[in-house]
Amino acid sequence: MARQFAYYPGCVAEFSSKELNATTKALAPLLDIELLPMPAATCCGAGDIAEAKPNLYLTLNVRILSQAEEMGVDILTICNVCTLNLRRANKMVKEDPRLLEAVNEELVKAGARPYQGTREVTHLLWFLATEEGLSLLEARGPRGLNGLRVAPYYGCQLLRPSSVMGFEDPDRPQSLERLITALGGEVADYGSKTKCCGFPIILAREEVALRESHVALSEARDAGAQCMVTPCPLCHLAMDAYQRKTEKQMGEEYNLPVLHLPQLLGLALGIPTADMQFRRHMVPVDEVLQIVGA
Amino acid sequence: MPSTTFRIFRFQPDSGKTEPYHQDFVLEHEPRITLLDAILRLQNEQDGTLALRYSCRSAICGSCACKANGKTVLACMEQVEDLKAANVGGVVRVDPIGNFAPIKDLVADMTPFWEKFKAVKPFLIPDGPAPEKERLVSKEAMQKIYNESKCILCAACYSECNSLAADPEFVGPAAFAWGYRFAADARDGQRKERAKLYSGEHGIWDCTRCMFCNERCPKGVDPRDAIEKLGSIAFQEKVTSDKGARHAKAFLISMRTGGKLNETLLVPYTDPIGAQFNLPFALQMLRKGKAPSPIPHRVKHLDEVKHLVKNVKETI
Repeated sequence: MARQFAYYPGCVAEFSSKELNATTKALAPLLDIELLPMPAATCCGAGDIAEAKPNLYLTLNVRILSQAEEMGVDILTICNVCTLNLRRANKMVKEDPRLLEAVNEELVKAGARPYQGTREVTHLLWFLATEEGLSLLEARGPRGLNGLRVAPYYGCQLLRPSSVMGFEDPDRPQSLERLITALGGEVADYGSKTKCCGFPIILAREEVALRESHVALSEARDAGAQCMVTPCPLCHLAMDAYQRKTEKQMGEEYNLPVLHLPQLLGLALGIPTADMQFRRHMVPVDEVLQIVGA
Repeated sequence: MPSTTFRIFRFQPDSGKTEPYHQDFVLEHEPRITLLDAILRLQNEQDGTLALRYSCRSAICGSCACKANGKTVLACMEQVEDLKAANVGGVVRVDPIGNFAPIKDLVADMTPFWEKFKAVKPFLIPDGPAPEKERLVSKEAMQKIYNESKCILCAACYSECNSLAADPEFVGPAAFAWGYRFAADARDGQRKERAKLYSGEHGIWDCTRCMFCNERCPKGVDPRDAIEKLGSIAFQEKVTSDKGARHAKAFLISMRTGGKLNETLLVPYTDPIGAQFNLPFALQMLRKGKAPSPIPHRVKHLDEVKHLVKNVKETI
């Protein structure tokens, strides 16, 4: 029987980066995952609502958790920021029954369902980097990545704070590496794979943000990467959509295609390239497609 | 008795070596020894010129922050055996704290750190005439600033701060933890002024949320959370003209009007002037289908969301 999740793609994957949502939906049936829609789920607030109105952030995110509870399944995310915001809210109310009670009071007043604290939130990467996930990939008999040199890029909020995230060592993560290797790719290793892409301040402080993304882009390039892969659509925007801008600001060339994690899996599993909507990327991925023979 | 190789950052400009380098030291030691005690033994027994800062040896003074295998720690809090086990090859690499210029070996120039600390006015500025007796504060009110009060100014949070690496003028995590510690103190009378002081260029809205500060703080201060709470204070005090605050406001408006992020609103609302100069970039995005639909998305049961946005009270 298919493994069911309450699917929480997040705003960016639904709008700016539709290619991520489309690829995830194409990938799920191949891995025997059923993605159940959450039509009443709001934005997680992306850290911005937590900053402006922390109590509102908590209540809105618990409302989302409660929807998954009503569906009787755990939440699956494909965005670092959504994962942190939902997990943080979940941890806060699970560890503090009085806080949960106060939040539920607000939810009930608003006509929403109260939360009992029974759900978990996991990212697609975490699900796939376990024994269960890897065996699902193997069962598909992937055609493989043909030695493609891939720079894993984690970004920040899937790793830190580890007290909230906790899937793996935030300083020596291995989940992306495990998947790249299992799919017949080569890991292009570099130091800044756990550093920030700058996206949270890219609209307010663009120059600073681009100096941040420059660090990982230049290191990945120097490590001989043929592409970068990321589990987060915000990192993807910073690394792909803004890459030409960063090149201009820093006076350097990276020319590094950036794949969403499900796209890398899709290439290895033979999802038709048109379905993964690479045309929506700013940096062309043609060479990557050639190497893997897609 | 175990033996450990320490690969230590050396920088001795006074002795004519202008470039830093790493030097290997081998030490035989008892199984349980802290990194600080190991370095002190190296200094005493092998090379008296090895320079470092330390004082209390018990995680109170905040002097001995450095990087062990690339990760910022207090040298007095780390066991050598744990560091060896965590590192491939068993070598313990020791470097000075990051984001500050080295002076000599593990001693870095902390001048910018102290300047930023002073810039947040890290002291109480009460309002009105002084009371006849002391100002009483409830336990509950102190609880709000308990985390931030634990800061020992070791600067471990600055060492790997990604905003600071990209912008050396960023005020930074520890200073803002202290800023919050006073802004939220029931005895302080400068809440609004502090919100203004902290909201400028290189201020709270420059934090890139890399979360390294929360991860590295040896005392559980969670400086990023303090910065976040300062944002909330800025909102309550209506100090929201910075582009970062406007970015957050766009999320609140999105929530109220549709429940999902309204990207059409986000860019021009955050930076109404800059957005016009960014037109070529916007057109590129448009061609790639990355321009969002102008119609706000509406989640089911939006009435619940609207009710929450209107009625949930903030308590910071």
